[in-house]
Amino acid sequence: MKNSFPVVIFIGQPNSGKSTLFNAIAGPKAETSNFPGTTVKHTHSRVTVEGRVLNIVDLPGTYSLNPSEPAEKVVLSHLYQEKPDLIINVVDASILGRSLELTLELLELEYPMIVALNMVDLAEKKGILIDPGKLERLLGVRVVPTIASHGRGVKELLEAAFACLDAGSRAPSPRLSSDVEEEIKRFSEEIPDNFPVEANRRFTAVKMLESNEVFCGQVLADIEPILNRKLKSAKKRIEEKRGAPAYEVIAAERHHLALKILEQSSHVRRGQHLSWDKRVDVILMHPLLGYPILAGVFLLFFFLIFKIGGPLEAMLLGPLGRLREYFSGQLGSGLLFHIADGLLQGIGGGVAIVLPYFLPLLFFMAFLEDLGYLARAGFLLDTFMHQIGLHGKSVSPFILGFGCNVPAILSTRILESQRDRILTSLLIPFIPCSARTTIILALVAFYLGPFWALGFYFFNILIVAVIGRLLTFFFKSPSPGLILEIPSLKLPSLKKMASKTYVELRAFSKFAWPLLVGGSIVLSLLQFLTLDKILNVLFSPLVVHGLGLPRELGITLVFGFLRKELSLIMMLQALGVEYSHLLSVVSREQILVFTVFVSFFIPCLSTFAVLWKEIGKKIAFLSAGLSIIVAILVSLLVRSII
Amino acid sequence: MISLVQAPRGKTLKVVAILGGEGVRRRLFALGFHKDDLIEVNSQGILRGPILVNNLTSDTSVALGRGVAHKIMVDIVADEE
Repeated sequence: MKNSFPVVIFIGQPNSGKSTLFNAIAGPKAETSNFPGTTVKHTHSRVTVEGRVLNIVDLPGTYSLNPSEPAEKVVLSHLYQEKPDLIINVVDASILGRSLELTLELLELEYPMIVALNMVDLAEKKGILIDPGKLERLLGVRVVPTIASHGRGVKELLEAAFACLDAGSRAPSPRLSSDVEEEIKRFSEEIPDNFPVEANRRFTAVKMLESNEVFCGQVLADIEPILNRKLKSAKKRIEEKRGAPAYEVIAAERHHLALKILEQSSHVRRGQHLSWDKRVDVILMHPLLGYPILAGVFLLFFFLIFKIGGPLEAMLLGPLGRLREYFSGQLGSGLLFHIADGLLQGIGGGVAIVLPYFLPLLFFMAFLEDLGYLARAGFLLDTFMHQIGLHGKSVSPFILGFGCNVPAILSTRILESQRDRILTSLLIPFIPCSARTTIILALVAFYLGPFWALGFYFFNILIVAVIGRLLTFFFKSPSPGLILEIPSLKLPSLKKMASKTYVELRAFSKFAWPLLVGGSIVLSLLQFLTLDKILNVLFSPLVVHGLGLPRELGITLVFGFLRKELSLIMMLQALGVEYSHLLSVVSREQILVFTVFVSFFIPCLSTFAVLWKEIGKKIAFLSAGLSIIVAILVSLLVRSII
Repeated sequence: MISLVQAPRGKTLKVVAILGGEGVRRRLFALGFHKDDLIEVNSQGILRGPILVNNLTSDTSVALGRGVAHKIMVDIVADEE
């Protein structure tokens, strides 16, 4: 059954600072950001606090326990599976009224629970003063004020958690209006004893009354036809009495109860002038000014990465070249040299070519995410997304794709409709991720100039739009309208961005780097055994005749499937030149065609795997096939116009 | 009673009815958007873009596509103060 460590679940609405709080306790393992629903993977963490081990689970943010998007369904199934010993409900104090609606729903579970009243500093800045004691009495559970970003209140929260675990006191269910409560009681008594009750009878009854007719009704009609009939008539009675469907009545009940609790437990100073974030928001979301700003942000993003990465790269390449010369002098040209050379290319290429661009990109992505700009971009770009059959909610996964396609595809779970998920996931692999940005900057920007690279980016986005437009012919049904929460702007903390970058960097050195090194060594060995020639001959119809590239590059394109940067590092190795002497063997045009092909050709292995897992085998293969066709067509097009 | 699409910017509005399918309604309730809430339109995207709504009751902001906004009926509340 359960292991001996108590299970503590962190649950809260998106942007409540849940992951930040979790990080403050468990260390920087969970990814956090300021966009609804970006904690897509749930994180288990075993933490020892004051000599006691806790099994802490961080669930993705959810607005309610009545899921309407895949990410929320995950929350619900985990909540039921884990049967937590304690729930820590993280609440955004600055929007307490709305946040309490979930709190009230959680209380109905009657599990041991405490509330982390987070971001109290933000609430105070907005003029909302909350009395935790009063809130505690109204909710019937401990309330601990916290400021997760500064680590404040964490100790008190843990103390409260231990106290609650030791006492094992269950949370009291809130009471709704008596007429609704009567129906709930009546129906809950109808639930047969052998029925798989979740948490408790009342909770199960409420959830069934709130449930979606199509979803729940059919299953229930099959297994418990009598209960299903009783459920229907209970729903009908509520609807007749209140003039609205049961799910709306119950939602409204919680809403009013939450507002009442807010009123009784807090004091609002009105008439304050606009806070900084509201004033900035007026400009960021302005119907006209918003767009040049959006364009500016991305130009700046791009140039900063190039301006930081370029010189850094040049600086690091020198020593690398000298080291290589030293090896060749010492080891001759035998097997040993080939292995050493492959090792050096893999490790050195990672340090000198990949990291200079990769690191600043990660850092700026973290900045945009934490600021909350992604949701704003979604608002601004909604109209344009309609042109490719999607809407503004897909913008965030797309932008995340510029960092890495894998989390981008995971984050499509925030999309309610499966069609939107498929369409977005098919387009994401065409977004130039950090690996491809590295190639674009290291090859196109370095050898043809930054404006070429910028042009490349625009061209790339144009291609995405064209593919999207074409795909809408196959995915016709219209997507449901945009409903996207715009979280308040938050000044990103340097510490948080740094820790996020560090997490990504660690993942890179754990998974990608070994691939780069391994790939380089394999290529070295193939060269030593002259096996590379066979493969190159095999690909030469496409590589030489189609793309007009040197035959030696054939093998590098194949290996790009493992990891996109590998193509770049292997390219130098295959051509047998140093990075700075690249132009002696290939022309600028060839560099461009190579970059185009590598960019569009086949999603990398991790992307392919996550597509398979998240959306399905068919879509993963469809994506791979699509990318091969697009890569060939676009490269031929580029070759013919330059 | 007018739909949110026709509502003037910056005026306090009261949500009178949320029409539309069950999915959309459930989603709006979950985001803290209910009947009788006081809201205001903050901004609009260009070219028939989405409408940025500030919910004064729950102090949250939501971007709503036009299709959704059409289904939210509001009354203009007499000028504040």
